[in-house]
Amino acid sequence: MTAAAEHMPRPKTSSRFLRRSLPYLLSLPALIVCIGILIPFFTAVYYSLLRFRLNLPALKGFIWFDNYLNFLTDAAFWNTVKISLVYAGLTVGVELLLGLGIALLLQKPTRFNNLASILLLLPLMTAPALAALMWKLMTNPNFGILSYLVSLLGFTNFKWASDPSTALLTVTLVDVWVYTPFIMILLLAGLRSLPKAPFEAAALDGVPRSFVFFRITLPMLLPYIITASLFRLLDSIQQFDIVYSMTQGGPGDTLMVFQVQSYLEFFQYTNVGRSAALLIVLWAITYFLSNIFIKQWLKLRERAHGVA
Amino acid sequence: MYEKEKGLFDAFVAGKLSRRELLSASAKLGISAAAGGMLLTQAQTRAMAADFDWMAFKGTKLKLLLNKHPYADAMIANLKTFKDMTGMDVTYDVFPEDVYFDKVTAALSSGSSEYDAFMTGAYMTWTYGPAGWIADLNDYIKDPAKTNPNYNWDDVLPGLRASTAWNGVPGGELGSADAKQWCIPWGYELNNISYNRKMFEKAKVEPPKNLDELVATAAKLTKDLGGPYGIGVRGSRSWATIHPGFLSGYSNFGQKDFTVANGKLTAAMNTAESKAFHKQWVQMIQESGPKNWSTYTWYQVGTDLGAGASAMIYDADILGYFMNGGDNKEKGNIGYAPFAANPKAKAPTPNVWIWSLALSNFSGQKDAAWYFMQWASSVEHDLFGARKMDFVNPVRASVWKDEEFRSRIDKSYPGYLNQHDTSAPGAKIYFTAQPLFFDLTTQWAETLQKMVAKELPVDEGLDKLAANVDKQLKDAGLG
Amino acid sequence: MDHTSNLERIIRGGLIALVLIFFLFPIFWIVLMSFQTNETILRIPPSIFFEPTLSNYSALITGKLKTTAGNLDLAFMKNLWNSVLLSTLSVALSLILGVPAAYAFARFRFRLGEDIAFTLLSFRFAPPLLVLLPLSLYFKQLGLTNTYIGLIWVYQLICLPLILWIVRGYFEDISPDIEHAYRIAGNSWWQTFRKIAVPLAMPGIAAAGLLAFIFAWNNFVFALILASADKQPVTVGALAFVTASGIQYGQIAAAIVLSIAPTLALALYAQRYLVEGLSLGAVKG
Repeated sequence: MTAAAEHMPRPKTSSRFLRRSLPYLLSLPALIVCIGILIPFFTAVYYSLLRFRLNLPALKGFIWFDNYLNFLTDAAFWNTVKISLVYAGLTVGVELLLGLGIALLLQKPTRFNNLASILLLLPLMTAPALAALMWKLMTNPNFGILSYLVSLLGFTNFKWASDPSTALLTVTLVDVWVYTPFIMILLLAGLRSLPKAPFEAAALDGVPRSFVFFRITLPMLLPYIITASLFRLLDSIQQFDIVYSMTQGGPGDTLMVFQVQSYLEFFQYTNVGRSAALLIVLWAITYFLSNIFIKQWLKLRERAHGVA
Repeated sequence: MYEKEKGLFDAFVAGKLSRRELLSASAKLGISAAAGGMLLTQAQTRAMAADFDWMAFKGTKLKLLLNKHPYADAMIANLKTFKDMTGMDVTYDVFPEDVYFDKVTAALSSGSSEYDAFMTGAYMTWTYGPAGWIADLNDYIKDPAKTNPNYNWDDVLPGLRASTAWNGVPGGELGSADAKQWCIPWGYELNNISYNRKMFEKAKVEPPKNLDELVATAAKLTKDLGGPYGIGVRGSRSWATIHPGFLSGYSNFGQKDFTVANGKLTAAMNTAESKAFHKQWVQMIQESGPKNWSTYTWYQVGTDLGAGASAMIYDADILGYFMNGGDNKEKGNIGYAPFAANPKAKAPTPNVWIWSLALSNFSGQKDAAWYFMQWASSVEHDLFGARKMDFVNPVRASVWKDEEFRSRIDKSYPGYLNQHDTSAPGAKIYFTAQPLFFDLTTQWAETLQKMVAKELPVDEGLDKLAANVDKQLKDAGLG
Repeated sequence: MDHTSNLERIIRGGLIALVLIFFLFPIFWIVLMSFQTNETILRIPPSIFFEPTLSNYSALITGKLKTTAGNLDLAFMKNLWNSVLLSTLSVALSLILGVPAAYAFARFRFRLGEDIAFTLLSFRFAPPLLVLLPLSLYFKQLGLTNTYIGLIWVYQLICLPLILWIVRGYFEDISPDIEHAYRIAGNSWWQTFRKIAVPLAMPGIAAAGLLAFIFAWNNFVFALILASADKQPVTVGALAFVTASGIQYGQIAAAIVLSIAPTLALALYAQRYLVEGLSLGAVKG
């Protein structure tokens, strides 16, 4: 397709210069508006190289990479890395499968399906911090409707987020409830814009449905799946609202994910250096993971549209 | 103004006349309630105005940062008095408690001059003070040119005055001679037992007098009531879990968080007595605490008591106070009792939370802001809040003697005055003031959570905690 | 083409019902709570029967909350208005900046193109806290603290990458041949973009715009750190009901319902664009 674009006949009026600069003219405003926001990023990198606690001003000083080196031997840090990755993997995985399933169920553009797909967005429209408060109430052992329903099923001592063994499960449940609709709506839009021809041909030939799904639907949908899971991953590994509102990272250190830890480090302990270093590590992990996704995405695009 | 009425109200404000006397006297003079309120406000102003130029900063505009709290509500309700008296304008930003301290940290760490004065807790000043964000208020309180002669600073309960003063040295004693007054106590809460009187009657138990009794009573309540659990104490992963009942009981056994020697701090949570205390505490939660203890914050402690889900709490007295009113199911059923965890202790030693007012160092009009602070913490405003609003607990000794306030409380909150009066002499902050307060106390709560979840035995957990704490103190140059 | 058996239809129906129950039951419960006082919400065990009250809504809408301690002022409607303002303007700016850029990345291969695209995405990598704290210092110097403009600028961190990358995917799925034909007919590049490319990518733009709106709407940390109380969105406003004298669940529930309403209205309006997705199939390469 790029080839096609290159060979587009140009109306006489547009100069060669304008033609060349058009893509830049189109994309640079977005970049310029955003780049200013990146300056604080470098300030934060600088902070991460400092011994910098707001309430111990006498100790402030440049310490190169000591904040980072300290992480290497810090069990709490590795726990945070582990929990963040597990959390992100679990939530994105479940949400992707569930979101894809729901999108397939609602694929036909009937009035009911359209309405259902909009109604399913409701959890996403509930701010996660408030949603978590409501879930906390619904899982309350005394007044919670969910605790009550679960107790009717015989689980009278199910402690939801308050027990180390079920805390991750509970918080994942809330995350899945809030964010599955995000994946669902993107994949539904993707599914509905797939070309019809291959499916019609397959139906005429009597190709088994599972074959159609795995060999036609899924590959064609893959770019959408990658975009949707990429954005979910970016948010999920940086999870804060739900975990903080429900357990503050506990019980113990069961759910001490990156953003909760660095939030505490900054806002409660005023340990700016350590907080910044934690966030830079989180940034690096996010960068690395997204890069994998983007590479995959670009490769698929190339294949789908043919190499120029 | 009619001289007779004026004299009457002045006498009342000066404390020469009780509420009842005032009411009957003003009824005789034919003053309606509304007019009486207006005259009272004017009397407040006249009482304060004696020998002091309140109009010195006329036209100045102040901005406050406030937490959404009954104390702030009481102040806002009376703010016109201040505006009229000083000719200043006061605006304020109110933020929800959930995010309030984040907002304070964000505003102050960026050096924002937007806010002149703000609400704070005493613990927070252990951060704000050394960081250079707040002014030492001794410079103002002790300066007769800046503070009105009727301010009567010594009237503020001594434990609270000391608890809000620190010399900035890690481990330095609160309220020492060289201490800086980082904030002015405004309203405070101490930690005792609030309980559901109906449930106690039903289970035929009395309010517990010490920790052994508390553990046993809580267990009996849980067993006999068949539904509600015995004892509500905080449990979320936060320093806030340690500071109410837990530290109050802990201190009653003479236990400390740190020992200070030669300016160095050492963890003291792993003594034999401390381990014994922790074991009882953990056992109590496991047997008769809330199922959701590890995510259980202050508002759930209150909510459960108010809704009849718990039979008693060992937490802030004012939490029990609020649950006795409003649209709570158990309103009118709550009783209060002082509590000394150690059977050998003479009196309770409640750790306190003090909502205070601090003066921002970034303010461009500190003298004017101090005018507001001394008004907001004055006897007159304290009295107004305590009588008419939920400005409980007031911090001034004279207000605690006020008959109208006492009879209001005694009528609707049985036992409240007694629990307060019994405990107030020992009420102060029992933590050691030091810059790592929030880190280390949060770790303490984390360890407690692991113990309650049976992931960690108490002895081993406390030894680990102490070792960990010592390492961090050393890293920060404090240990 | 659709040879669905009865069995399959039943299974499908059952699954859709399960999905709807899982996702909508909590919403349903929140709506119920919004018509109750704390007294009935906090019953043991919880019950679906109660005497409904409008007091939560009237307190939020009139801004007067009656408590035992007297009447309190609430700024909830102001919060709601702030949310509308911030989210709408942020998404509008993101669309103006993002859609042309997305088109450029999809249609042209140019030097540094992928790098610029990746950089724009990378704004999303930075944890918000990392950027926010230093930003509050710079905002103070630039005089942007406590301004809507400053906030809308920061909101681009949330909205722009999302719109850019999702819309880009849709542009790439549209065959360039149609645009090609239109241009040969003598139309300028701008006309082609406006009349052909954008309408064809509309489902993607609608979906991305809606999602960006929702994310902007749900954010609260930006305004909390960078602005004073009169510019706080509804997410911060709703937390005001966690008060020192108890948590007001009924009012939080009503606040959630009120804060969902504008977004839901927008989604229902955008629905027809989302649906049009299918008709596109015919013209795609």
